[in-house]
Amino acid sequence: MFEEKRLHPVTVFFNILQFLKEFALPIIIGLFTFQGKALGIFLLIIGAVFILILPFSIASWYRFTYRVEEDELRIEHGIFIRKKRYISKNRIQSIDLTQSVIHRIFKLVKVKIETASSGEGAEASLKAVSLEEGELLRAELKNTSKELSDFSSEEEQTTYPSDTITTKRLFLAGTTSGSIGVLLALAAVFFSQIEQFIPEDFFDETLKWVVGLSLIFIIGLVSIVLLVLYVLGIAGTMIKYGKFTITKNKDELFITRGLLEKKQITIPLKRIQAVGIEESLLRQPFGFATVFVEVAGGSLEKNEDFSTVLFPILKKDEMEPFFKKYLPGYQVEKKKLRSLPKRALGYYLIRSCIPAIVLTGALFYFLPDFLFLAGIFWLFSLLQGFLKWKDGGYWLEQKRLSLRFRRGIHRTTMRIYHQRLQSVEIKQHPLHKRHRLATIQMSIIGMLGGGTHYTIKELERADANQIFDWYSYRKRADFKR
Amino acid sequence: MRLPPRNRIALDAIKAWKITAAINVIILWLLTIAGFIFSNIFQFSYWFAGIALLISALSTYLFIFLFPKIRWRRWRYEVFEQEVYIQHGVLIVSQTLVPMVRVQHVDTKQGPILKKFNLASVTISTAATTHEIPALLEEDASDLRDRISALARVEDADV
Repeated sequence: MFEEKRLHPVTVFFNILQFLKEFALPIIIGLFTFQGKALGIFLLIIGAVFILILPFSIASWYRFTYRVEEDELRIEHGIFIRKKRYISKNRIQSIDLTQSVIHRIFKLVKVKIETASSGEGAEASLKAVSLEEGELLRAELKNTSKELSDFSSEEEQTTYPSDTITTKRLFLAGTTSGSIGVLLALAAVFFSQIEQFIPEDFFDETLKWVVGLSLIFIIGLVSIVLLVLYVLGIAGTMIKYGKFTITKNKDELFITRGLLEKKQITIPLKRIQAVGIEESLLRQPFGFATVFVEVAGGSLEKNEDFSTVLFPILKKDEMEPFFKKYLPGYQVEKKKLRSLPKRALGYYLIRSCIPAIVLTGALFYFLPDFLFLAGIFWLFSLLQGFLKWKDGGYWLEQKRLSLRFRRGIHRTTMRIYHQRLQSVEIKQHPLHKRHRLATIQMSIIGMLGGGTHYTIKELERADANQIFDWYSYRKRADFKR
Repeated sequence: MRLPPRNRIALDAIKAWKITAAINVIILWLLTIAGFIFSNIFQFSYWFAGIALLISALSTYLFIFLFPKIRWRRWRYEVFEQEVYIQHGVLIVSQTLVPMVRVQHVDTKQGPILKKFNLASVTISTAATTHEIPALLEEDASDLRDRISALARVEDADV
């Protein structure tokens, strides 16, 4: 693979598409705001830009070359300013192959190469190469010594553990995903945007029409809309996590997922900082949860999740066997958590009720007729505060710490190794002091070279001290000098 | 909370903090004065400017006279062979442990105000967090930096 290679010509199309995506909104806004002569000039400019994009896209495709040479991936690109990026093989952390729908039509694949260093420009991506080329490239870059790997992979291929999500489970994941909330929010945003383009009498007409209908019909209509959104939510989850497969290699986890857009993710076991179990409000009663990992470094593309999902849905009793199979170090035998003291409950209730207090004030001032709405809000706030308090807790083992907390509708349990914690902090304000409580914050390496912090508020002070002592690298006796 | 770390930071830190706070508070006062002038010119109610005056007076007291002293009294640090132990805070007291094996790099920093008092701050960075010891005598700061960086050189199994 010494000769210089170019990406598949479809890349030109991708470049144009990307440009369109970025400028779609200003163009649409422009079309609506400009009128008369200004609109003509605007269209002329757009036309000119479009004519210019094509040669630019072709040029940038033509100038982008890559080759594997002397154990390095060498990429050269740039139209006016030539940029060269050489990535040495042993610096490469993971190579991910992704296929969008367009990729699949042309049997292409996007290759994303991540290095250990974090920050911008730490990775390279080849937007479109043929499928076999992508796999060849991966094989080439993965192995520092080729002969050795050929032997081992032949032998071990059969014994790698692997799991694929069943259709039944996938459907269950979809129905309990709770993405209907997200869709409702999206729909609301969409309508608030589109509202200004609808002629005013349209609303009057619709209102007349709606008022003329019977109540039952309206309820039916709303239910149908909700149902459609719900089904869309299910479909979204099923498309995203369809054919979800996890495979364990020697020192890596491979994940492939997606029905339309195929994604393949490589997680080097060494870079896993923590493992999390997330139970959303909808899944908790049924004993289902999502397993994810926090991985150090790497890049964060738009629309990508912060954490990497290891398996979208697992039953409680499948959890430990799953860890045993894929992440033996993260198996926990007993799960008796040390929870928060009763004294802490007050703090949790007051904190979660602050929005309710603000809302009540605002309603009282602006819409006193709707004050009853605040009551519902108070109920939810109190419940949320109570659940947060009830779910908070930790468990210490010799080398490992388990944390549980609730964020929004998700109850999350993290399992972190002592050596993965970057620093530990305990905080106390005067009120805490009086109640013998303390807040503890633990930091691990997160995405993009930043930190991810986990906080448990209002622990028993003795418990916070216990975690502090456990974390300290000094002997405990040293502390009590 | 645990026993606090042993070492205090330089006493001149209080002066340095007071100067920094004074600069910020002066901006606040200027805005307040501008508020009064505008209220006068445009026949506004003096309510807003009055509130601004109150805020300015309060922050002058808190940030220049009260907080620097408390802050200095709270600020402690201690460097052990295995870790750095820091305590700081005004109302909320926080104690932090940074293990040596997690330290990525140590810097010393000196702005014009710290320079005036021959002080410097030490910043300790891990892969996830940064911790600053704000005002030490110049020699102490560079000694501390060298010491931490020497102790941090211990190889770790994997990161």
